[in-house]
Amino acid sequence: MKRLALEAGVFGRSTYLQYVALFQWANPQGYVAYKVLLPVTQILFFVELGVYATGRQNALYFALGNALQLTANAGIFGVIATVANERQYGTLPILLASPANRLITFLSRAVVNVIDGIATVVIGLAIVVVIYGLNLQHANLLLLALCVVVISLTTAGLGLMFGSIGLVMRDAIIIANIVYYVLLIICGINFPVSRLPGAVQVLAYALPLTRGVQAARDAAAGASLGQVGGLLAGELLVGLMWALGGYLLFRLLENWARRGGLQEAF
Amino acid sequence: MGTPGVAVTGLARAAFSAFRVSIRLRVISPWAYLNWLVFPVLFAAVGLYVLSSPGAASSHVVYGVLGGGLIGYWSVAYLEGGNGIQEERWNGTLEQIFATPTPLWVILLGKICGGLLFGLLAFLPTAAFAYVGFHAVLPALDGGRFVISLGVLTLSFFCIALTLTPLFALWRWAFSMLNGFELGVYVLCGFMFPVAVLAPWAQGVAGFLAPTWAVRALYASTLAEGPHNFATWWLATIGLSLAYLAGAYFLYALVERRARMSGQLALA
Amino acid sequence: MTTNPAIEARQLRKTYTTTRGVFRRERVERAALRGVDLKIAKGELFGLLGPNGAGKTTMVKIFTTLLLPASGTALVLGLDAVKDQWALRKRIGFVFGGERGLYWRLSGLDNLRYFADLYRVPPEVSRRRIPELLERLDLAGREKDRVELYSRGMKQRLHLARGLLNDPEVLFLDEPTIGLDPVGARELRVIVRELADAGKTVFLTTHYMFEADAICDRLAVIRDGVIVAEGTPSSIKTLVHDQGIVEFEVVGMPVERLAGLRSLPGVRSVAISEHELAQVVTVHCARPADVMTRLGVILDGIKLEKVSSREPTLEDAYVQLIGENPTNSEASP
Ligand SMILES: Nc1ncnc2c1ncn2[C@@H]1O[C@H](COP(=O)(O)OP(=O)(O)OP(=O)(O)O)[C@@H](O)[C@H]1O
Ligand SMILES: [Mg+2]
Repeated sequence: MKRLALEAGVFGRSTYLQYVALFQWANPQGYVAYKVLLPVTQILFFVELGVYATGRQNALYFALGNALQLTANAGIFGVIATVANERQYGTLPILLASPANRLITFLSRAVVNVIDGIATVVIGLAIVVVIYGLNLQHANLLLLALCVVVISLTTAGLGLMFGSIGLVMRDAIIIANIVYYVLLIICGINFPVSRLPGAVQVLAYALPLTRGVQAARDAAAGASLGQVGGLLAGELLVGLMWALGGYLLFRLLENWARRGGLQEAF
Repeated sequence: MGTPGVAVTGLARAAFSAFRVSIRLRVISPWAYLNWLVFPVLFAAVGLYVLSSPGAASSHVVYGVLGGGLIGYWSVAYLEGGNGIQEERWNGTLEQIFATPTPLWVILLGKICGGLLFGLLAFLPTAAFAYVGFHAVLPALDGGRFVISLGVLTLSFFCIALTLTPLFALWRWAFSMLNGFELGVYVLCGFMFPVAVLAPWAQGVAGFLAPTWAVRALYASTLAEGPHNFATWWLATIGLSLAYLAGAYFLYALVERRARMSGQLALA
Repeated sequence: MTTNPAIEARQLRKTYTTTRGVFRRERVERAALRGVDLKIAKGELFGLLGPNGAGKTTMVKIFTTLLLPASGTALVLGLDAVKDQWALRKRIGFVFGGERGLYWRLSGLDNLRYFADLYRVPPEVSRRRIPELLERLDLAGREKDRVELYSRGMKQRLHLARGLLNDPEVLFLDEPTIGLDPVGARELRVIVRELADAGKTVFLTTHYMFEADAICDRLAVIRDGVIVAEGTPSSIKTLVHDQGIVEFEVVGMPVERLAGLRSLPGVRSVAISEHELAQVVTVHCARPADVMTRLGVILDGIKLEKVSSREPTLEDAYVQLIGENPTNSEASP
């Protein structure tokens, strides 16, 4: 019982920090800028680019892809901001010194960000519906919702990896910025993965989003769970792989720090 | 007191010194490389893939060759404007430079020139990427007009950075807004596709942005077909840029006055 | 001409207006200077003392053209700090204590060259002057290192070198020795004294009484935006000259016991300060001998050590001027 309370405490504190990170902008303008303006303009830019290149009839292809990619915004930057806050408030040593379950401590970093990711995609899709008249009449809406949840989970999984890297590298945010745009290029958001060179395709399938976005496109066209189940399972597996990698790195760094090698990081 | 000539050489030397320091600081900052090297190439990559989609017109590909460079150039220019004062504040040097006998705008002018020179570099990796990855070149390049258009564009970036600096110093939130709206600027200025594809009202808004016209001239100088009203486009950019400068003049006076009233130069 | 002061303040006032609160914006006015009059002669090394928030930095910033006064006049070298800012900036230098205010990623030399250009020092002059300053401030040999590798003392000396680039006639130093070790602080004091001896007017603010006592020609004490005393260090000490001082050490004495001391006739103030193991009690009084004879009665049963009576120091005068609780400048006089 006591043990459970402890875990809940750690979980709660971590969730609180993520919440703080989420609303760290001191003013409402900051929130508007990064949570509304940024998604809207990202969708607009790529849709108009796609329309110019391939014609108005393809607008929805670009709109849907970019709306879904927005989860990476919450998943990657959200988790990194959480770790930065742990550092700033000096709560990390407390977490590490506590006997709480390491895996729970670690995973709890992503909770708020997953929810935030889902919210961002919903905003993005709403924009697409309003501006470009995305027609969801034939769509399998429940399945599309499931896809959104899955993608939010998997991008947060990738984010957890960057959270661990962020413990040792102060400029991890730079790498995260790059990865964010790489996802935009190679995950089938703006053009099919098949057009990429072979090696890059392999990388694409090792990253979150690629399978999930494909599944979501199918769901929007009316596919059933049976038809996209494989894609979604693969997507979840990729996300889990990244989260696990992040966790292993986290434990490695923790041991390293214990032996006195990493004073500065924690 | 010295002669006006001495005063001008002194000011020019101060501006040049600021230019040199801005270059030096940029050479050792990882963020600078992100802005002129990495992001432009990433944008060029998406752009080139989308613009060379099956069925797309082959002339579209010039927007991929130059678009990434334009985006990088712009990012560096406006970040310079946005962070020009804030950066000094973080360093604690804002008070020091403010109290020198050199007006703030002269120092910022030097810093902005440093930023623009770095921003121009963005065209190198993006054009190289387009050539190596997509065998894309500029088929009907009119060298003279291209260079003039780029110069006019540079003038507009310069004026915008000089205007944004006091604006952002006065209203910090305006910087977050522009940051959030960054891709919207790419759309409205026609960096990667022509403004003509946009809704009429958006084209109207775009017309008030100085870079829009120079960018149009820049792309026209690489394409054989289409209207070629270079003189009009250049004049439009120059006129709008000068109008921005007039606004900047008042903003600088306001910043100087406010700073000396509130004593907030030191605050981080 | 020669009687013209180098620095002069006439009825100088400054009020800061700040807004508080995010949702219900509230304007708060804060008076930092409330009518300061001051005259500092050319070549003088003038010290301004005062508790935190008394208005020292505010005054320096007004004289250095960084801040506009609400009313009154600030003149430096006969130039108005508000209206003649451009002419004035060329002829003054200023240094704020602390490590910030330099480009840490550039070398010390690059920092100096940059500021020399901003101060519009002709290149032929700065080529000669920069090495001189480096030599004089003991930075020669390290000038090519990045500033982030400098010690605190070196950064402070680099600041001073920057402040001297335009060979200013008047130099403003706001707490220049803050955070320096005793040796570094002393070195800096020696340099500052030499500058004044060489004819520069120096306006210095500090929290260290012995520093002010040791190097300043003249002092003023500011409290809550008002000058409460002005004069040479020894004349300021005479403010408390009629007072004797009795000082002693005790261990673990309840503070209430001091009440008896305070009520003795002729006692002006009783201050207590904590030292490592003991408390040091300082009694300012008219007749130390009287207090000495009554000590044993009032503090019966308490072991007193190192009982002494002594001449007043500048610090005593300061404490007397500022009140027993010098950090509380908010309390109105
Ligand atoms: N930029 C500002 N905005 C609002 N109030 C300010 C500002 N700067 C100073 N003040 C207030 O003005 C008063 C005088 O401040 P000032 O910095 O001049 O004191 P000081 O004597 O230099 O103190 P210290 O010894 O701590 O350096 C203080 O009450 C301070 O809070
Ligand atoms: Mg101060």
